[in-house]
Amino acid sequence: MQRTWYFFRRNTLAVIGLGIILSIAGLAVYSATLPLPWTNVPIWCATDYGPANPLSNYSGNYSQICPTTGPVICTYEVSPPPNAANFCGGQWYRDIVRSNVSFPSIIAPTLSVSPFSPGPMPLGGLATSSGSRTPIYDIASSLERGSDWSLLFSVSIVGLGALLGLFLGAVAGFYGGLLDEILMRFVDIFLSIPTILFVIVVVAVLSVDLPGGANAAAWVRIVAMILGFTLVWWPFYARLVRSQVLVVREQKYVEAAVAAGSRKLRTLFRHIIPNSVYPIFIQFSLDVGTVPLLVGALVFLGFGGLLFPSIPFPEWGSISAISVADLQGDFLTSCYTPATGCVIPWWQLFFPGLALFLYAISVNLLSDGIRDALDPRLRR
Amino acid sequence: MVTYVARRALLIPPVVMGVVTVTFILFAALPAQYQLVAHFGSPTVKEHCGYQPSCSCATLNPTSVHGDSCTCITPPTKTTPTGICTNPVYKEYYDRLGLNRPIVEQWATYVYRSFTFQWGNVSNYSTVAQVYPELKGQPVATAIAWELPYTLELALLSLLLILIIAIPLGNASAVNRNRPIDQISRVMSFSGFALPAFLLGSLLVAGMVLLFLPHSGFLVRTPWCPHGEPLDEEFTYSIPPTSSCYAGLGFGYSYPPWVANGIHSRPTGFVAIDAVIHGDDWLAVDSVLRILLPALVIAYGTVAGLLRFVRNSMLEVMNLDFVRTARAGGVPESVVIKRHAGRNSLNVTITVLGLTFAGFLGGFPIIEDVFHLNGIGEMLAIAADPSPALDFGVIFGSTLLFTFLIVSANLIVDVLYAYLDPRVRLG
Repeated sequence: MQRTWYFFRRNTLAVIGLGIILSIAGLAVYSATLPLPWTNVPIWCATDYGPANPLSNYSGNYSQICPTTGPVICTYEVSPPPNAANFCGGQWYRDIVRSNVSFPSIIAPTLSVSPFSPGPMPLGGLATSSGSRTPIYDIASSLERGSDWSLLFSVSIVGLGALLGLFLGAVAGFYGGLLDEILMRFVDIFLSIPTILFVIVVVAVLSVDLPGGANAAAWVRIVAMILGFTLVWWPFYARLVRSQVLVVREQKYVEAAVAAGSRKLRTLFRHIIPNSVYPIFIQFSLDVGTVPLLVGALVFLGFGGLLFPSIPFPEWGSISAISVADLQGDFLTSCYTPATGCVIPWWQLFFPGLALFLYAISVNLLSDGIRDALDPRLRR
Repeated sequence: MVTYVARRALLIPPVVMGVVTVTFILFAALPAQYQLVAHFGSPTVKEHCGYQPSCSCATLNPTSVHGDSCTCITPPTKTTPTGICTNPVYKEYYDRLGLNRPIVEQWATYVYRSFTFQWGNVSNYSTVAQVYPELKGQPVATAIAWELPYTLELALLSLLLILIIAIPLGNASAVNRNRPIDQISRVMSFSGFALPAFLLGSLLVAGMVLLFLPHSGFLVRTPWCPHGEPLDEEFTYSIPPTSSCYAGLGFGYSYPPWVANGIHSRPTGFVAIDAVIHGDDWLAVDSVLRILLPALVIAYGTVAGLLRFVRNSMLEVMNLDFVRTARAGGVPESVVIKRHAGRNSLNVTITVLGLTFAGFLGGFPIIEDVFHLNGIGEMLAIAADPSPALDFGVIFGSTLLFTFLIVSANLIVDVLYAYLDPRVRLG
């Protein structure tokens, strides 16, 4: 252990990567403790669907404080008041939020910045504009708030996928025969399903109203997204590990272990798996950086409202997706208006992009460092 | 060879059945009403009327909601002000789709329909039907066939760019290991992973507008668009142009005459080729120019992954005995790299490329969305628009298409692999 740490420490880049990861993780832990950025201005939802029924004996106001958007007040005339237990996760509430809370603009630039001169970057601490239902995030605070979800998504998706793939791939490669055949057919099946499309379908299926007006809660959809990604992610790892296990199990030291009386499971877990995880490190480090981009792609395609409990959901991928969607409109209208001149709000793209890039590259450096430190053949 | 192909082809049915089964599980998880809309296209099939599970017969206009005809079962009373309504058509459609049958039978019919391209219909009320009115209520397979040429065009151009960039660059970086060109290609490969396509795409459009922004007026005039169009539309939007490009010609609003007024004369479906057929040469040039930028973005993202493979396999081959023998025998270095090492390192590249191309055919939802292009990806993106209604027919149809493409690409790649490398088919 001490030797590993010694070799790891000698790798400067890996130490830098570790430092960046640790600071992101620290930020994530800190941001998880922050209160949610809603203001106390209530959302008034429209009256109940349909005109008032003269025979109705329902009438009144219903109010509830929802964790992501703050207080909501609805009047009801036709149907009974909403169910308090699942109001905040329900379709009705989401319709209200969708029609009342407009898409957040990521920042309000304090000065027009001409495209090529570096201008003031709005990296202040303001979270929302007061009194407005449209939250205006600045980049710094939304990146800060988003760090926990970004980390959670990428590590859980890729981690689950890698673990599942590692286990199934190792079992398939080690035992071989019919088990191998069956597992590899499953790998083929899930490899044939496109990642983003599968997640879209899973989330879409969960987003519909069930008969009776009930609806899957927001956290169910987030978990479904994570599991959906995992389900199409593990086959890559399973293939990788299996091909490695097929090589490792023929090695002399495995033979020696078996000859020394090591049982099958022990051979698998003590000798074969530890020696076939290295390719996983590379793949893992590449994938962890791409997960926020995939989530961002989902948001960019318009799944933000379906997927996440609140529309201005702070997650790095979502932030960059929202700012890109913003950018196209802002930039193009300003460029075709001669009075204003071309304004490129480059900071909208630069800082989320930088965060994602730093994250991806530091995971990569860290995993390279760990692999080099653990593998005696690479220690020089 | 024949035995190898036969053996490999035997593995296809279980995989295809598995994929269709996974799709079926998701489809069957939908509430019946959505399954009916996905399959029949027209949503005259709500079980109940109105937004609530039970509607108020006294106040709701019975035919107002999506043309549902409501039948009151229980009229409203003072204690139950909402009478319970039901839709008699619902039951009929429900039985026609076979939803009253046992689940195994439903699965069997789903598999049958999947293989016979009965992938349902485009919903009348989804965004797809609004954006493409001509596809409203059409079978999903027709809609996909309509959009496929657009995607195919883009995919082919991207593949060409990838072949031009990735293979020479990968070879060069393997040959000049740890020299500047290797470092550059590695940085490029890494940044391709870290830069999302939507970010790169928007940046490119913005950059192009800045570069070519006309100093007077808002419109650029090009040989193919003499009346001018906004510059960003020149770099986004697929053909037919949505701007005022053809407005001065007196044909429809904005379309060239051969696609005006919904009368689409598309002998091949590929815009460039159709334009040439109709004698609209500039339009052909234009249509290729418009997909150049998106193709570059796609190529950049794909080259990132591919460069690694090309470099690694090249490095591996360069250390093999036969390359050393060739060198020792006095074969010039350039010939060694090109003929001995280059050709033998192609195996892995072909595998990755084949799978990539199959993925391409499923469309590029994000790229086509950023650049406002037509194509399967764009159709999928708007089918996934929840605001009037998700179009499950299109979503599931494209999933099926995608998976079939990937399975067949796998087969083709394996056969190609075996053809190139005798060890595979004999071992």
